[in-house]
Amino acid sequence: MAILLQLLMSGIALGMIYAVIAFGYQSTFATSGTLNFGQGEALMLGALVGLSLAGTVSGGPYLNYWLMLPPVLLFGALQGVVVERIAVRPAIKTKSEFGWIMSTIALGIIFRNVAENIWGRDDLPFPSPLPTDPIHIFGASVLPMELLVVVGALVMMLGVEFFNRRTIYGKAVVATSTDRDAAGLMGINTSMVITFSYALSSMTAAFAGVLIAPVTLTGASMGAVLGLKAFAVAIIGGLNSGLGVVVGGILLGVAETTTGFYVSTGYKDVPGLILLLLVLSVKPSGLFGKTTIKKV
Amino acid sequence: MLKVENLTAAYGKVSVLHGVSLTVRKGQVVTLIGSNGAGKTTTMRAISGMLVPASGTIRLGQQDITGLPAHRISRLGVAHSPEGRRVFPTQTVRDNLLLGAFSRLTFGRARGDVEGDLERALDLFPRLRERKDQLAGTLSGGEQQMLAMARALMLKPEVLLLDEPSMGLAPILVEEVFHIIRRLKEEGMTMLLVEQFAAAALGVADYGYVMENGRIAVEGPAVQLQDDPKVRAAYLGGGH
Ligand SMILES: Nc1ncnc2c1ncn2[C@@H]1O[C@H](COP(=O)(O)OP(=O)(O)OP(=O)(O)O)[C@@H](O)[C@H]1O
Ligand SMILES: [Mg+2]
Repeated sequence: MAILLQLLMSGIALGMIYAVIAFGYQSTFATSGTLNFGQGEALMLGALVGLSLAGTVSGGPYLNYWLMLPPVLLFGALQGVVVERIAVRPAIKTKSEFGWIMSTIALGIIFRNVAENIWGRDDLPFPSPLPTDPIHIFGASVLPMELLVVVGALVMMLGVEFFNRRTIYGKAVVATSTDRDAAGLMGINTSMVITFSYALSSMTAAFAGVLIAPVTLTGASMGAVLGLKAFAVAIIGGLNSGLGVVVGGILLGVAETTTGFYVSTGYKDVPGLILLLLVLSVKPSGLFGKTTIKKV
Repeated sequence: MLKVENLTAAYGKVSVLHGVSLTVRKGQVVTLIGSNGAGKTTTMRAISGMLVPASGTIRLGQQDITGLPAHRISRLGVAHSPEGRRVFPTQTVRDNLLLGAFSRLTFGRARGDVEGDLERALDLFPRLRERKDQLAGTLSGGEQQMLAMARALMLKPEVLLLDEPSMGLAPILVEEVFHIIRRLKEEGMTMLLVEQFAAAALGVADYGYVMENGRIAVEGPAVQLQDDPKVRAAYLGGGH
């Protein structure tokens, strides 16, 4: 029982990371109908930049974990702007339907190579801002960092939700998502909104990176698998449902940790893939997704 | 105020406007009538920047606005209540109205009294006041049409473009819409009006243009068009 609780907790923490990354996929898809397939690399870069600031790899630490967050978030946002300008905007301009897929994947590979050259190919430990001794809740031992992951992910998503509902700029983002032409008539610079959504998307990925880094290891290859699984979560939960990615993320996270323990770590990726295939065949718009007829 | 000269426009390779010229003077109501597919909506879309014209010029006051992106034209004071309403369905009536004032709330345009104008818009359309916090997507078609018009007014525009504001409305509401247009006119609002009810449109307008196949076929003061036998036969159903 205690073991199961522990597996659940780890699964939820992992799931919330997937949810945050998936949330980033959703934010660009909503405004532009495009996705950054280099989301995993945005996460990895955020984690490594965070490591350079708060760890010893680059002669630091220069900042503690908490003070490192703002510059990492800013870095993530700028990286997202770069992705949008270089890989996505030209494709949208030329109305190329699939150009952005190749260009965001290519840019992701470039980012990974750059990271390998700066930080090397080995995985590096990330200093934990919280005690690394587990705390005991109902007999289960839970890492404090796992709790921080869950809280941090929720705060970030609620923050964006608040922005969208309560501020005029957030309302403009929502309007651009529902009807880009009509939003333009309101005086909203919709290209800028799309750039912004890419900044937000990479910023959330970078945030996910520094949240997960103390629990796992940090390295140039850490993003690829996370990015892919978060993509599965976005499909499972629905590309337009915020609740969907949280539920989908937790489902996948828990499925992985329990399978890893009760079956074999070798099979831990299998239930997620089965879930993905099931959802795609039964409800292609995702568990919580609204069926959208996309017309460009 | 608004001057369109030799405008041509196309959707892909299909050219739709073949040299449209029209003028709307300050404080005037000008109507654009014509049969389905004549190019009225396309003309409006080119003016508000939803569509980049192939050639020709569009001037707002002294400024050449041809080919500017829609948000820039909006900030210069052209409000467009588009065909098909295009309200934001997942947002409330109030949010839709605030979005209409987006450039005023974000320094793109003089701010003025946004809250006061919101109240005035809700006074003008009492039905919307009752449904202020309802999602726009749950409004009836007629209510959405009123919202689209109220939203355009929230810009405090120099020129208001209304594309079939009475579309899908019950007869009593059509009258209400024309009543509102008259009221706006009395307040000095400059308007370009596209309407299926050509007789009513000519009734409120100062000047009219009749469009056929992407060209202006006839133009003149509204009273004159009302009496033009050709216009009467083709657009005013002979009677009235
Ligand atoms: N998005 C589009 N793509 C291709 N052709 C279009 C498009 N929109 C309009 N057209 C064509 O352009 C022509 C003019 O259309 P427009 O909508 O301007 O006419 P309209 O005068 O507003 O007609 P209505 O009274 O039916 O609203 C029509 O032949 C129409 O088929
Ligand atoms: Mg039309």
